[in-house]
Amino acid sequence: MTVSGSWVEAVVAAGAVPASHVPDASLGRDDLDECTGADPIEDPDLRVHPLDDAPPLAPGAVCFLDGIEQWRVIGYGGITPIVRAHAAAAIRRRGPDRRLRTVAEATEDVAITRLDRLPDAVRRALEAAAVRVLEFPAEDSASPALALAAARLEVQKVRAVLERRLAEQRLRALAAAEWLVVDGVLSDSAALSDHPRALGVVKSHGARYFEGAELERALTLSDGHRTSVFRPKGRGARHDIYSWYVRLWPWEGNDLLYGLLRLEARAHPDTLALAAQIAAWVRAERAPIATPDRRWDRLLYPIHDVETYLRARAPSDLTSHLASRIPQPAPRSPRTAA
Amino acid sequence: MIERRHLAPPIGRVVATEQKPATPHQFHFWTANETTIGIGAIVRVAEGRGTGEGGRVVYGVVTDGFAYSDLATPLHDVVGAEGNPARAAESPTVRQEIRLWTAAVLRQTPEEPLQPVPLGEVHVASDVDVAQALRMDTYLGGAQPTAIPVGLYTSGGLEAPVYVDADFLLGPEAAHLNISGVSGLATKTSAVEFVLASIFQHFPPHKGRVAAVCFNVKGPDLCFLDRPGALQEEDRRRYERLAVEPEPFQRVRYYAPFKADGVNLNTLRTHPDLVGDVEPLVWGLREVLDYAEVLLNRDDIDAKADAFIDFLADRVVDKEFEDGFGGEHRVVTFADLERLFRSIFDGLELASRGGDSWRTHHIATMRKVRNRLANISTRCKGLVTDDGPSNDLPWGRFEDRTVYVVDVANVDPLGQDLVFARVVSQLRERLERRDLGVDAVVVFVDELNKYAPADGPETYVKKMLLDISERGRYLGLVLFGAEQFRSQVHRRVVGNAGTVVFGRMDADELATPGYQVLSPAIKIKLATLPIGELMVRHPHFTQPIFVRFPRPAVLRGRDGVERYPPAADLPFEDAVARQLVKLDRRVRPNQVKDVIADRREEDVRRALAHTRQARPQDALAYFKRLLGGRVAAVPAAARESVAPLNPISDEPY
Repeated sequence: MTVSGSWVEAVVAAGAVPASHVPDASLGRDDLDECTGADPIEDPDLRVHPLDDAPPLAPGAVCFLDGIEQWRVIGYGGITPIVRAHAAAAIRRRGPDRRLRTVAEATEDVAITRLDRLPDAVRRALEAAAVRVLEFPAEDSASPALALAAARLEVQKVRAVLERRLAEQRLRALAAAEWLVVDGVLSDSAALSDHPRALGVVKSHGARYFEGAELERALTLSDGHRTSVFRPKGRGARHDIYSWYVRLWPWEGNDLLYGLLRLEARAHPDTLALAAQIAAWVRAERAPIATPDRRWDRLLYPIHDVETYLRARAPSDLTSHLASRIPQPAPRSPRTAA
Repeated sequence: MIERRHLAPPIGRVVATEQKPATPHQFHFWTANETTIGIGAIVRVAEGRGTGEGGRVVYGVVTDGFAYSDLATPLHDVVGAEGNPARAAESPTVRQEIRLWTAAVLRQTPEEPLQPVPLGEVHVASDVDVAQALRMDTYLGGAQPTAIPVGLYTSGGLEAPVYVDADFLLGPEAAHLNISGVSGLATKTSAVEFVLASIFQHFPPHKGRVAAVCFNVKGPDLCFLDRPGALQEEDRRRYERLAVEPEPFQRVRYYAPFKADGVNLNTLRTHPDLVGDVEPLVWGLREVLDYAEVLLNRDDIDAKADAFIDFLADRVVDKEFEDGFGGEHRVVTFADLERLFRSIFDGLELASRGGDSWRTHHIATMRKVRNRLANISTRCKGLVTDDGPSNDLPWGRFEDRTVYVVDVANVDPLGQDLVFARVVSQLRERLERRDLGVDAVVVFVDELNKYAPADGPETYVKKMLLDISERGRYLGLVLFGAEQFRSQVHRRVVGNAGTVVFGRMDADELATPGYQVLSPAIKIKLATLPIGELMVRHPHFTQPIFVRFPRPAVLRGRDGVERYPPAADLPFEDAVARQLVKLDRRVRPNQVKDVIADRREEDVRRALAHTRQARPQDALAYFKRLLGGRVAAVPAAARESVAPLNPISDEPY
């Protein structure tokens, strides 16, 4: 299958062996392992609070931010993969009419490889191409498996940068009563961490902040309940935020993480005061259901909508096709290794 | 110069998937949820940025529409709303949804090579686009345009006149118009009235003269075509847009037979202010005998009877004829014919020749024909006269842009068949001979279900309608037929109609095979069409088009009856007087009553008919002369009597 983009054709013409491989991991992103530990803020220890009496916060306008990343190996120079990657982020705003409209968007296409492991002609072609080239560490170029894992990290970084940049731009344009909901953590950005109306919605739970009974309380949280607010610890250079869990759907019959979200907001007493209302608001966002996404139990529909929007606009040749694994005609260019 | 349409933003975009590809005949496009287009809208697709410059331009008509959201299964909506429908509307975000439309291709430019529709921008069609899409450009312009406006295409705030091609509506390329629709919505008749008005005003001069013959077969539908009807401002605007003057027909001639009394007209146009315009339609033996086949039951009239009827028509009627028994006859009327029959039967009986044949015709055949013919004048009394002169349409003197209304609404079905068959046959014959007075005639027949049913016996009327449908276009004899159920009309009659119009349709009718080519959405639209909107099929249109037409500028039948209530039947003397006054305004009714007092009604009717035919200057004098001098009643002479011998005495016994 031919991939679009003049630089791809250029490197293939320069001798790279064309390839068409979409690694499974490129269809989604893995949770980054996070350190554990938390300081109690609301209660002396992690406790469970019902949301029955909490009126949901109902902001008149909300911006939702999400990003995607897609990549594929478009060729090999020897055994060094040359990856074409696409990252995009968008913000869609929901106004009083309850419909989502795009207010900001950013995309970037990059090439990821290890230049010094490529044949000279291929390297020169890539350097001359109108595409930003990112290199994974030299130690990861020893084997294709390591190289692909490293390339994946590079793609994630590109996406994260796009998201952060877009979010910070939007914060400056945010109206008085308008909120920004981010798919993921706030603590990567100082601006986001400090903003009174920025909310991070984390649906992956790779990081553990509690142990023992507190962990059990967090993971067995009943539907319609939230935990007390805590401050995650041990997050390296990340910024200070408050966090709490909320359960969107009853988990019984499924698994512990079913319908479980962790929210992040500014580390401020106002957040403490609004924790219940924000939790009730997020729980109200469970409808409409974000199907057909498999993560619909934790995926807010507006975030799903942003992702759908981005995928609809992404290059179509970066997704895997049924026919992508059929044998391809032999290339005309010589298979010369570095 | 950049046209406005090039600057208008697109309203949609063509999409094609493996499951729903774009083809040379169909494509799919999406629009914003809030859009002005709907089923029947005409759109333009152009390659590039919508201008189509240097590329392909495709015109299509929307035939179906779909709306759906990203909901994977209805169950998820239930779950999201926790089983409470009211909560579904409270969700913070409205689901993404789509308006996806299917359009049928109307035209592609260039037309060759024919290719799939490009995946380009979709624009609402402008006036120019509509003309292009419907191929109207081929007959709207040029040295001899043949465009006849039939309605306004309206969609998304745009309104464009739709024209049909006179060469394909009135011949010779194609012809005939068929209109279907449920009864009671005043759509079929109104549409025909409007189209006729449009034809009269836009019939191309190079095509000659045109007239219309309308059979009024029910109620007062066509009885007030010369009277202005109430129009709303919207109607006037539509007339202006279509360049048709909103006025009633300038020249209308009404014909109606008499009632059984022979003097009161059998029509609802009997209001004193209007009845003067109605000409009686009276036919005699000659007119009937030519179309005896219409009236005689095919089951009992065989070849022998046919031969005898032909013999009468060819050798007897209007000729000096010797019956073979010494009798001389000149058969002009039914009464004359009856005298001939009596003479023949008496002659056969008295001659005692032992034979039962007369001039090779068996007596039984003759008796049968005699009975049937006698029956005609009884069943169609008022239309068929026993012994008076006939009064017919002005054959050979048809006038340009004139409507001839033949009111047979209250006539016996047999009489309707006779009127229909004779009038249409005369039209055909005279158009063939080019001596009708006009070059083309539109014949409007309602209730085709009845006259040309899909099944049932092969009647003369049905055969004639088939003949018009299949060959009329060469003669300029054009059938405008209307019916409630198209599926129940003979397929060759509807199939030969070049232009087909649909009003609101019955759902059962739409379920019949004839409508399979229509999409479910078109069918739904047809089933709910408002008054004044129609779907039109025309040879130049590759797909049916919805149009709106203004209500006709003539008085509707129901309104006409209210404004001009029919007069009650007049007594015989008054009815005769009124007819003579109509012929000569100097006639005083009392004079007429004196003249006809004590006279036999048959004699009066005969004299009146002759007077009407002759149209003398002094109608009363002519009438009196025909009626003959009155023989004064002579008082009975006093019988001579013999005086009693003895006067009555006072004796007690």
